[in-house]
Amino acid sequence: MATAPSGTHNFKVVLLGEGCVGKTSLLLRYIEDKFNDKHLTTLQATFLNKRLNINGKRVNLSIWDTAGQEKFHALGPIYYRNSNGAILVYDITDEDSFGKVKNWVKELKKMLGSDIVLTIAGNKIDLEHERTVPLEEAESYANMVGAQHFYTSAKLNQGVEELFLDLTRTMIERYEQNSQTDVNRTSQVVVVDDEAAPPQTSCCSGNKTN
Amino acid sequence: MDGTYDEIISDNPFFVELKTEYVNLFQHCITQSWVICVPRIGSLSTRVFTVEDFCAHLLVPSDELPETHYSTLTEKQVTVTNKVITLEVTKGLPLQSHILFEETFYTEDFIKYKVWCIETPLEPTANFSDNTISKEYLTSINDCIDLLWTQAAGRQVLDQIEHSVQSFLKSHPTLPVAVAPLRDTVSELYTQCLQIALQNRRLRDKSKSCKQVLENIKLAVECYMQHLLFDALFKPICTCCAYEDSHLNKKIRNMCDIQLRDLDIKKELYHAVPRAKQILSKIDTYNTVLEKVLCVKQALNAINKKDDSNNIVLLTADDLLPVFVFLVIKSGLPNWYSQLTYMKEFRFSSAGKGDADESAFLITTLEAVIEHIQSGALTGSPDPESYYYESNLTEENVNGTRERKNSLTESISTSDTNGKEETLEYIFELIKANHCEQVQAILQKNQKHLKAMQLNENNVLKITMENNLTDDDDDDDSDTEIYHKLCHPLCNCKKCCCKISKNLLKTSPTVTSRDSHGLTALHVASIHGKANIVESLIEMGAEVNATDLNECTPLHYASSRGHQNALLLLLHTGANINKANIDKNTPLHMAVNNGHLNCVKALIYFAEHSRRKIRINCVNESGNTPLHLASKWGYEGIARLLIENGAEPSLQNRYNKTAFDYAHNLKILQVLKSCTPNLYEYIHITSKDVKSLNCKPNSPVGVKLQKLKINENNNVSKAVENLKLIDRILKAISYGDVKLACFYMNINYSAYMDMKNKPETSQQSAPCHPLCECSVCKKNTDSYSSDFDINFTDTNGFTALHYAARYGSDELCKILIHNKANVNCINKKNQTPLHLAALNNKTYVIRLLLDSGANINAIDMAGNTPLHDVCAMGNIGAAKVLLSYNPDLSMLNGADKTALTLAKEKVHLTIIDLIDKYTNGI
Ligand SMILES: Nc1nc2c(ncn2[C@@H]2O[C@H](COP(=O)(O)OP(=O)(O)OP(=O)(O)O)[C@@H](O)[C@H]2O)c(=O)[nH]1
Ligand SMILES: [Mg+2]
Ligand SMILES: [Zn+2]
Ligand SMILES: [Zn+2]
Repeated sequence: MATAPSGTHNFKVVLLGEGCVGKTSLLLRYIEDKFNDKHLTTLQATFLNKRLNINGKRVNLSIWDTAGQEKFHALGPIYYRNSNGAILVYDITDEDSFGKVKNWVKELKKMLGSDIVLTIAGNKIDLEHERTVPLEEAESYANMVGAQHFYTSAKLNQGVEELFLDLTRTMIERYEQNSQTDVNRTSQVVVVDDEAAPPQTSCCSGNKTN
Repeated sequence: MDGTYDEIISDNPFFVELKTEYVNLFQHCITQSWVICVPRIGSLSTRVFTVEDFCAHLLVPSDELPETHYSTLTEKQVTVTNKVITLEVTKGLPLQSHILFEETFYTEDFIKYKVWCIETPLEPTANFSDNTISKEYLTSINDCIDLLWTQAAGRQVLDQIEHSVQSFLKSHPTLPVAVAPLRDTVSELYTQCLQIALQNRRLRDKSKSCKQVLENIKLAVECYMQHLLFDALFKPICTCCAYEDSHLNKKIRNMCDIQLRDLDIKKELYHAVPRAKQILSKIDTYNTVLEKVLCVKQALNAINKKDDSNNIVLLTADDLLPVFVFLVIKSGLPNWYSQLTYMKEFRFSSAGKGDADESAFLITTLEAVIEHIQSGALTGSPDPESYYYESNLTEENVNGTRERKNSLTESISTSDTNGKEETLEYIFELIKANHCEQVQAILQKNQKHLKAMQLNENNVLKITMENNLTDDDDDDDSDTEIYHKLCHPLCNCKKCCCKISKNLLKTSPTVTSRDSHGLTALHVASIHGKANIVESLIEMGAEVNATDLNECTPLHYASSRGHQNALLLLLHTGANINKANIDKNTPLHMAVNNGHLNCVKALIYFAEHSRRKIRINCVNESGNTPLHLASKWGYEGIARLLIENGAEPSLQNRYNKTAFDYAHNLKILQVLKSCTPNLYEYIHITSKDVKSLNCKPNSPVGVKLQKLKINENNNVSKAVENLKLIDRILKAISYGDVKLACFYMNINYSAYMDMKNKPETSQQSAPCHPLCECSVCKKNTDSYSSDFDINFTDTNGFTALHYAARYGSDELCKILIHNKANVNCINKKNQTPLHLAALNNKTYVIRLLLDSGANINAIDMAGNTPLHDVCAMGNIGAAKVLLSYNPDLSMLNGADKTALTLAKEKVHLTIIDLIDKYTNGI
């Protein structure tokens, strides 16, 4: 959790989910408003920045795409530590991918506690007729673990904007709550006054979310 | 480092005025999703904005191409490509402006609109101010120095930072060897340096006016500090990470023959790999985190592919990671973990930004790669072949669906009838799958078969056959073709028989058969560490010292793969322990390089027990001894073992590097320093060692050696022996290891220590009797003195005392002087030990030498006395001491200058003062 000079929130968001569920597509759709039928994108797509101004609050989102292949699963913690939010993507036509989301949720809860804001995205709703993950199951599961649930289609640009906006707002709320209730946390916020001494740089205390 | 421009749009006067003074226009604009362009703060000279000004900055997306084509409310056409806005104007060149950033706004009722902060206003006539934005991206240490220099208009900030780094180093002669305290200590220094920078008026004003400048200043200060601090800082970091690095190295060494295809890397990317590798392996040449991160970035950017229309298509994380893994493995760097730790923990300027910048992403990617290698997820594939079989041919998935497996299981069940399946390749597969009995059965059957056949043939035939066998492959017949080559399908003339048996030999492999790489079954069993198969192959008479195309024996493979059991079996059967392969690597080299302590132990202990000599200092093609490799990859345990068994750390390889030079952390260095001489080695110096001494051909020593060699071979080894010893002694002194130096010089150090503890009494007391050998007398007579010629010199005329003086070891100076070292001996430059002590400001030693009769006015080749040296160097402490021994101040050096003149030239004020006081005092 960090706030850069002038009160801009810097939030890190990771995209997690099985291979081919559409993580990269969602990200590209959100950032560049593009959809590619092929399974390839840009290097920049592995790390993208987006500036938002939500009702006067400035937010700098850095969104990290991750590799979905199973062989890289063990690297998850390296990518998601220090994240403020996670988007767990599954493909509504693929039950296994939903099972994978459940695993991610478990892992994230275990590693990061409730410091991280979770959002579950059921992607590819343009393929509604092929749906295999039951609607109620997904939603009640999300409810149970305290995550928002969104239906998206990167292809048709449905639900993408809403998903990111809602996540960002929740992260701001969470951040403000924490800085009110937790005295330690406020002291960790680094504010540079032009005049004053440079920031204290004990980086660990400033960044680690747990 | 992303150095992206930032400003708070809602404070921008242009935006504020639009929003407050033209509410209707603004509302209409956002409901229509038009894009609002806001010229960056300072690009418009402050004046009153008209409604036209605003209309010129509101972009209406076109119907056909809403992403790239717009028109302004003033009816001008606008196109956007690559973050550049181009505005058509009626005459002249089109006007262009960069989009600095896009910010997406959401109102209270969640209406969304986009704002583009642009570099210059979209008005041809606008008289924008020339307050140009500092868009500087810092990409190197030079950029950083440049920024601090030019922005502060002078180098005083740089000097001040340098000064505080110097005093930091002085007050922390040894830095903590744990990452967290180390980081905190350095972080304090960074804070201090940044304060220095911001105390500068210009820098402070500039950073106030633009946030970007402040960020750049922070980064520049950090870089400059790291640049100055690097040498002192990086060794401790490497020491903290010694354990992790050596483990990672072991992992990497053991998969260094991994190929691109083993990592599932896409074919389209192959072409980019060499260049990316070249870029990435330079990472250790950079001293600053900034440059190291940029290096990673460039390497990643080099990995791209081109689509059909030659556009660069970059990669997803899934494609990228395997390539990056490959690059790290192949880079040959011994300290990736330390590099990562440095980049991760010593990036102070971006503290507080969390992980939300690109550098954090790049560093995390590197971390993920290292973790991936470290995790062993890849170790299934250190050798591409085993990868297949070990993963597929386990007992439980024998019934799997893969074609390969099927053919294999089928043939296993029918192995005694189907000759065609019993190829050498098939036997290798069986070995990998550890099917010992089958291997044994097939090979034995074939052997019997062959023997029987041989018996049936007459002698002449045998000879022809063998002859034919040796001139291999002139007719490489496959079994389908063989019958066409016979006189008649049923013919059994000599020639045809020979052809048939030759063919049979090919298809019926025995323990001596080889594949196209020259591998025998024993090689393959050793590669895969199947000890039981190794054993049975040996029983069947396999050749233990068979070499493949790379001249590797089975022992080489067992060592490099870390298979201790197979290795011991081979050794017990008489494998040649010192066999060198094509790169002159011995099995010991292989085991050390791959970090297999168990195999190194096995090799050394076996040699010891069987009274065979293992050549512990054997050099490979690049002149590396096993110790070089252990030192480079940071294998502490192995290095210690080698040292204990006589490995010599000061041997130079082809690049004139010793094991000391390769030690990148203090732990290894300590192990190397613990080296005690191996006397055995002195005695057994051969003429080959003369070559490895690395004398330059036309240096005096080289010539001398060559002469000696021609005349008297015996003296050569003596001379060499001596030179080597001298080298060791001087090295030991330079490391400050008095004990070791004494040991080499045959001086009893502990006796000296004893004597020191009870001074004078015992030293002066007369012996009980001239021949008495009681402990007191013994100590007094030969005590800690030596028969070694203490005034030996190296090729530059340096004696041990010169070295002791230069490195300020007063203890050793005392010992040497006591052993009748000549205090006024001179080197080739006519410098006395006193000169060296003076040059290096070793006040203690200076006093000691002067008390022992050193000539205070001794002159060197340039005519300088020690006082001249002190004055030129500005060594205050040394000057004080020398002045208290009444030097001759009037002495002129070769340039006709007195010591005082030198001090004045160099403006060493304190020294000038000291000399003045001294002359006045007298
Ligand atoms: N029909 C449909 N297809 C989609 C949608 N989103 C993504 N896809 C397709 O799904 C495939 C995989 O998309 P990616 O975005 O590459 O998936 P990913 O999760 O990034 O995959 P990895 O990077 O391998 O983990 C592509 O062929 C996309 O075109 C969607 O909403 N609807
Ligand atoms: Mg992807
Ligand atoms: Zn930290
Ligand atoms: Zn014939």
